[in-house]
Amino acid sequence: MKPNLVYLIGGSLISLLLGIIVTIIIPAQDPAGPSASAQPYSEEESRGRDIYLREGCHYCHTQQVREPEAGRGMVHQRGDIGPESVPGDFYHQSPVFWGTLRQGMDLAHVASRPGIGDNAGWHELHFRNPRAVSPGTVMPSYDYLSADEIQSLTAYILTLR
Amino acid sequence: MFRLVSLEPGSASLRFCYAAVFWLIVPGVLGLILATFLYLPAVADSLPLAVKPYLSFGRLRPAHVNVAIFGWLSQVYFAAILFILPRLTRTPLYSERVAHANWWLWNLMVAGSLVSLPMGLTQGREYAEMIWPLDLLFVLNIVLLAVNIWGTVARRREPKIYVSIWNFMAATMVTVPIYAVGNKIWDPSGAYLGMNDNIVNYFYVHNLFNAWFTTAGVGLALYLLPKLSGKALYSHRLGLWGLWSVWTGQHHQLYSPAPDWLEYLTIVFSILAAVPTTAFMVNFFMTMRSRWHLAAEDVALRFLVTGAIFWGLTCVQGVSHSFRTFSMVVHFTNWVVGHSHLAFVASYSFWAFALTYLMVRELTGRAAYSRRLMEWHYWLTTLGMLIFMISMWVAGLIQGQNWSTYSIPFLQTVITMKPYFGARLLGGAMAGIGILCFAENVRRAARGRQPVTAPTHAWSGQ
Repeated sequence: MKPNLVYLIGGSLISLLLGIIVTIIIPAQDPAGPSASAQPYSEEESRGRDIYLREGCHYCHTQQVREPEAGRGMVHQRGDIGPESVPGDFYHQSPVFWGTLRQGMDLAHVASRPGIGDNAGWHELHFRNPRAVSPGTVMPSYDYLSADEIQSLTAYILTLR
Repeated sequence: MFRLVSLEPGSASLRFCYAAVFWLIVPGVLGLILATFLYLPAVADSLPLAVKPYLSFGRLRPAHVNVAIFGWLSQVYFAAILFILPRLTRTPLYSERVAHANWWLWNLMVAGSLVSLPMGLTQGREYAEMIWPLDLLFVLNIVLLAVNIWGTVARRREPKIYVSIWNFMAATMVTVPIYAVGNKIWDPSGAYLGMNDNIVNYFYVHNLFNAWFTTAGVGLALYLLPKLSGKALYSHRLGLWGLWSVWTGQHHQLYSPAPDWLEYLTIVFSILAAVPTTAFMVNFFMTMRSRWHLAAEDVALRFLVTGAIFWGLTCVQGVSHSFRTFSMVVHFTNWVVGHSHLAFVASYSFWAFALTYLMVRELTGRAAYSRRLMEWHYWLTTLGMLIFMISMWVAGLIQGQNWSTYSIPFLQTVITMKPYFGARLLGGAMAGIGILCFAENVRRAARGRQPVTAPTHAWSGQ
């Protein structure tokens, strides 16, 4: 095959177009409704979600439980990473915070962890001074956030059930 | 005197070289700050409140990545494409003016990202963090580059189109739609709804890598190789194999909530990607045969060869990550950090170092200021990156294995990382000093008064 412009333009564009159709458009046809854990966000929770985005929390925390690890504990106790993530969990989210790295733990179901994850006071303390409550953690302290911001962020974290 | 626009042939290319070297310092410094924060979080704690938000890990991390891939690496690509085009087509560049407009607008975009990201102005999606006005600038810039590429090719005096130019044409053509779809360019929020947001994000992440960094990058390597080794390319047909990129984006998210069929499809395509990458490696090593000794003398060629070896390893790792079993262990761990630096620093940036040395020499007519600095640059960067990457790979395997016991408390697996974070900081600092040697060498060559040889910015062919 002798390369020429028709092959180049045609081949690249067809390959790209097929890629968009098969890997973006067809998957988007799946009519998954919201799952039980997906609730619309209140105004305060939305503000908290924006702070999570602004501070880049998703660079160190995933929100995505994979099937082989689902329901098996590696955080505080057995079983506490929670159930496998399903498409409906993300129904109300834009952008989604699936993440790529776990410098810190997965947060998909953090608010279901009794005593710590579901405790607003613990989170507020932890945001201001992580090393006071989790010795050895590498999380930065968010003591520069205002009291309101910490409260909104905590309200958002508590939606991660 | 510094003019806004110069019509001198090669002037835009040279400006792209200088700007690239300037921006390279930024991700280097940011990377060291980030590595320090992970090794010694107390350093981050002790920052004054006035600067703390702007130096927060989650804000600097995207600034580090964006300036590295767009400020440094992409600008070397721009410089090299504008440098190579007239030489391979035996024609002046279509428009030096457009090339200069390209330079201003691209640097405006990079500066904009370096200001906006630490301020927390972000769209929060990997490689797509830049806010909407900067997204528009990105697309405009690639279109301007395409105008120059296609315009020059249309006026060429050399009938044969060398494989590198095919790669440049293909790269600019598909990068625009990939960026536009990936960044939802028609919507200022830049994000899709629900699970689809992530599917599109990783379509974009991997295809930006395929279409821009790999397709154009392989084109650059296939220009450099005959140029520096003095030997014709082993096979032009093998070179063309690399043109066909594949749809492998979803392999970044195996076992994710995305449909299983999509994951299986992406696994098949990721394995198929071994074909063009093997073709490139065969081409590379067959061309280098009997010329290896030149790499001992010529530091630029040594960077090219070392980069190609690391590139081969990048591809082996990339294919292996697309198997679910391996992904289950290394995904979400620091292994991935090692892999991304293997691709962006140890492969593509190594080629970019070789290109910059070559272009500055040919465009200014002055050889690099100091051979000794070049050697320091090579050895500090190579050894530093090896320490960096190996510590991250080991750390990632340990992390992945620790997690899959399902019995070690998570915090303990973080504490275990400490020595590896320390080793990474050491390796990163070595590479950082190497980069400073490089920048100083280029700065001295730029400032030199007497040309060592006559400038060769005529379109005198290869």
